[in-house]
Amino acid sequence: MKKKGSLTQEIWKARYLYLCLLPLFVWLVIFQYGPMYGIVLAFKKYSARLGILGSEWVGLSNFKRIFITPVAVKAIANTLRISVGRLAFEFPMGIIVAILLSEMPGKRGKKAVQTVLTFPHFLSWVVVASILRNFLGSGGVINELLSGVGIGTVNFLGNESLFRPLLYATANWKEMGWSAIIYMAAIAGIDPTLYEAAECDGASRLKRIWHITLPGIRGTVAIMFILAVGGIMSAGFDQIFNLNNAMVEGSARILDIYVYDLTFRSVPDYGFTTAVGMFTAVINLFMLLGANQVVYKLTGDKMFS
Amino acid sequence: MKTVNKHRKKWDGVQILATALLLVFAVVILIPFWNAVVISLETARAYSLYPASLVPMEFTLDNYKEMFAKGDALLLAYKGTLTTTVFGTAAGMAVSVLGAYAFSRQFPGKKFLFRVMVFTMFFGGGLVPTYLLYRNLGLLNTYAGVVIVSLVSVYNIIIMKNGFEGTPMELQEAAMIDGANDLVIFGKVMLPLQKPLIATFTLFSLVGYWNSWYWPMLMLTKGDKNVLQLFLRNIVNDTILNDVVGTSMAAQQQRFAQGIKMASVFVVMLPIMLVYPFLQKYFTKGILLGAVKA
Repeated sequence: MKKKGSLTQEIWKARYLYLCLLPLFVWLVIFQYGPMYGIVLAFKKYSARLGILGSEWVGLSNFKRIFITPVAVKAIANTLRISVGRLAFEFPMGIIVAILLSEMPGKRGKKAVQTVLTFPHFLSWVVVASILRNFLGSGGVINELLSGVGIGTVNFLGNESLFRPLLYATANWKEMGWSAIIYMAAIAGIDPTLYEAAECDGASRLKRIWHITLPGIRGTVAIMFILAVGGIMSAGFDQIFNLNNAMVEGSARILDIYVYDLTFRSVPDYGFTTAVGMFTAVINLFMLLGANQVVYKLTGDKMFS
Repeated sequence: MKTVNKHRKKWDGVQILATALLLVFAVVILIPFWNAVVISLETARAYSLYPASLVPMEFTLDNYKEMFAKGDALLLAYKGTLTTTVFGTAAGMAVSVLGAYAFSRQFPGKKFLFRVMVFTMFFGGGLVPTYLLYRNLGLLNTYAGVVIVSLVSVYNIIIMKNGFEGTPMELQEAAMIDGANDLVIFGKVMLPLQKPLIATFTLFSLVGYWNSWYWPMLMLTKGDKNVLQLFLRNIVNDTILNDVVGTSMAAQQQRFAQGIKMASVFVVMLPIMLVYPFLQKYFTKGILLGAVKA
């Protein structure tokens, strides 16, 4: 080992590396940290005339307003309901698909299935919603078939009680193949001799899944779960925005939609909308750190220390 | 699909169930796509007579012609999408690859700077402060704004960094002994060795810009700039359908709104279908998994 020089020498030696980082950090500081300074708006009553700096401080009143505004409270409730639903009905789907794929015999068939299942991930929700609305809409194939066999049509897209199931189903349709990939890699990393030994001992396939595959991917599941919990206040703007319509608005108005509507579809009160946005971001951050701790206590797996 | 060879072991119940379920999933995913393509290629009459047919009963390209007939709006949207996709990917990849390379090496302050970067993955200013920043900088209604707002994905930088760290150190050290500086090592050692990794993220970036609609929707509000995703959104939501198909009732009846919508979907989707095989080649290899292990 070479002897280390002084810190200035070290820095000078790495000057080209700092140069490589320069464009990245210019972008991060201006466009990622820059808006964070705008968060002060959450504690102000914004006036376009006075600007962000000059606007009057109002303490926590913007935050208090969140909890006394019925629409905002409803938006929080909608967000939490949808997010918890996603944890229940979407989160396991990637794991299930990965296990099914790992148990499916035949390389070529498996690859073909995976090709199909992963494809929709690469399309925007604009495209996917267009296709699914065409398919499930009032004049679409499904309804033509349903009425053809005498069941009658179902308003899949404009029915508030079907809206959340519709979200879970269509999100799985789009993303289950993609979310399986990470678990498939984890399964591929399991020592194959474990399976061979279990087979010699006469363990059935189900037993092997239960005792080898599932414990083998536990760490990955834990990390993905922590990340999912860390997004609990973000219930999926892109999907909901593109499937939204007047008939389901009551269930669809999650916090992100609410902030969007307030900011771009009415006379904006930037102080209040910033407060709602910050409320969302802070809870997400705390949920992420909290989930990290809880999962660590329960299983010993964690994302960061 | 080939049938199972006779000498192969018989499938057990779990394998049959897994295969059957996956095939059902695959079919459920494929049918809406297929249906959209069929509708885009048939007439209104055929669709109303046989809505569930698996092939166009009356084949026509009229829906595509109608869509391309409104050339200006479509051209504008193409121009916007191509501009942001090309410049965004070129600039974004340059910034990301250089950053990832630096973080794959050792230097004073690395840990701190890395944390400064990672923090932005989990916390940000939010919609309103971000929007106001772009407004104050005069970036609203510019393609530059659309490019900048999604220039870098920290997640992707971390994965690339992990990939770069896998490059054999001996090569870098050999170059260093030859007196090469870090930039030369980057160009002569890292870039050639990590071509597949960089190609993968270039494709991801292309797809990302191609698909972006949210910030373009917030930023490009004056009507003189547009992107394809928004063009499609407007067509599907009927807001500009009358523009596209003309306003007279007779004309509207002759034209097949749903067919034009699905033709638009297909045109916007086609480039993704073309790059998808290349994308898939890489992500199935586990190239994207570095971040989780880090």
